[in-house]
Amino acid sequence: MNTQRTLVPAAVPLAPEATVRKPRPLLAVALAMAIFSAAIALFANAFWLSALTSAMALSLSVAGVAVLYGQLGLVSLCQFALVGVGGWVTLRIGHGLQPPFEVSLLAGGVVAALLGLLFGVPALRLRGLYLALVTLMLAGAFQIVISAWGFPDGGPGFLGRADGVGRSMLARPALATEAVPYFLYCAVIATLGLMLVQAHKITRPGRAWALIRKGETVAIASGVNVLAYKAWAFALSGFLAGIAGGLLAGNVGQLEGRAFSAFESLNLFALATVGGAFHWYGAVIAGLLLRALPALLTDLGIDGYVTIGIFGVALFHALATAPTGIAGQIANLLARFTRGGER
Amino acid sequence: MIEIETLSVRFGGIKPIDQLTAMLSAPVSGLIGPNGAGKTTLLNVLSGFVRPVEGAIRLDGRSLLPLSPLQRVRAGLRRSFQTEQVVEDLTARDNLAALADNVASVGERSRTTDRALDFVGLGSVAHRLGARLNLFERRLVELGKCLIGTPRLILLDEPAAGLTDEEGARLRDLVLAIPDAFGAQVVVIDHDVELIRAICAETLVLDYGKRLALGRTETVLADPDVRRAYLGEL
Repeated sequence: MNTQRTLVPAAVPLAPEATVRKPRPLLAVALAMAIFSAAIALFANAFWLSALTSAMALSLSVAGVAVLYGQLGLVSLCQFALVGVGGWVTLRIGHGLQPPFEVSLLAGGVVAALLGLLFGVPALRLRGLYLALVTLMLAGAFQIVISAWGFPDGGPGFLGRADGVGRSMLARPALATEAVPYFLYCAVIATLGLMLVQAHKITRPGRAWALIRKGETVAIASGVNVLAYKAWAFALSGFLAGIAGGLLAGNVGQLEGRAFSAFESLNLFALATVGGAFHWYGAVIAGLLLRALPALLTDLGIDGYVTIGIFGVALFHALATAPTGIAGQIANLLARFTRGGER
Repeated sequence: MIEIETLSVRFGGIKPIDQLTAMLSAPVSGLIGPNGAGKTTLLNVLSGFVRPVEGAIRLDGRSLLPLSPLQRVRAGLRRSFQTEQVVEDLTARDNLAALADNVASVGERSRTTDRALDFVGLGSVAHRLGARLNLFERRLVELGKCLIGTPRLILLDEPAAGLTDEEGARLRDLVLAIPDAFGAQVVVIDHDVELIRAICAETLVLDYGKRLALGRTETVLADPDVRRAYLGEL
């Protein structure tokens, strides 16, 4: 035994405050989102409302990526495809059966969750680059399918495609038909989704995921059913993506197949990293980067495609200097004003 | 009581455990041997991560080998690792609760977690993140995890590695108190012969995967074969 007291094991250095995820009370999520959403609802014009509604919806899909990457260290590159699946089902059910919007939305979430679970099957055996490649190929497969099928727009048959004047828009929920109410509607659902993720992090699933991230042998030795908890993470991630897709469909009433290329899944993952996969507000930041930044550039008369270059630089910056993303840097700042280390 | 019968493990052409037969019945037993003797492999066989090619293992008369690693944990088998495995972004309490989630009933989880925390003396740092615990506290978290639920067999792999003499002594007292407090049998693997001598009533010595000696710790440690093979005495 050493005669000198070892305060900290050499192999496990103290993590900087911002790299340590300290689950905040769920109320903090609700409060921050309420203030943020109210400010947007009060001050944004129609152009910005549409962009920020999409940003709010996409923050849910980023939250799903963050569950996989931040909690389990798994890289899934098919998240935007699952957004498309959720959108497709929401449109199909909405046009075909005309149920309340919430029913179509929920159906989109459930189907995407099931597909997310299916897409996650490789994760039970694969990790790292191989999992990333397999999921990227799945995103590519979805791109091909959706290019051929397109999104339902009120037509007959399984695909629900209509021609010309037969095309129709998906009706928004009865209580949120206008832009501002629909933005708030999306904000409420995004908040609930973020709280759902946060609730997972601070309870049994979060603890199991933390053990799996530490090492599967450690997790099994702690009685964790690794396969079940990985599958649950993929299903949750898919559900959030599906809900995001449904909300996007409700925002503009229809979806365009070309917007769901495999590149979008790559972009989404990259921005989840830039926004920060370890903090709940990282998902909101990534959602804003995905939709608000291009809108800002467009507003300034700059081609929105410039964002691809900006995102590339931001990703490089995040990987090189801020692996916990913008949210991690914000958390660092906040930690200077609060007591660190204790929950 | 652990009964091991003609246990053999094969990794390709290597037999890290070869026809091992032993019975460990003391409340706290020791497992020692030179590097490569098969100690960790035996621990991995006991916890289910390595499957033997032949042999049998029984814990209190119940055959272990048909059980998966998860089933063994639920049956009361606990283990710590050579390198402590505290999750940095969970609190000390949540590190223990992570195990309670899987081995205790809903109504029992909080109680068993608090009991283990109190036993190892981590109550005052229960809500401190793992990343901010010192090595001794991290070792205590590892020990505390082994006490969650209803442990029946606790395998401690070098539990005192890196600790000061004072910390090692405190850990020793805790390990010695486990059988009475929790009714579990403890097996300690360690290179620290003084630790083994201080807490283990009986000790199994392995060498090249075979049993070199088994019996009362004092007798085993005085055995010339053990001293030659393990302690390096000629």
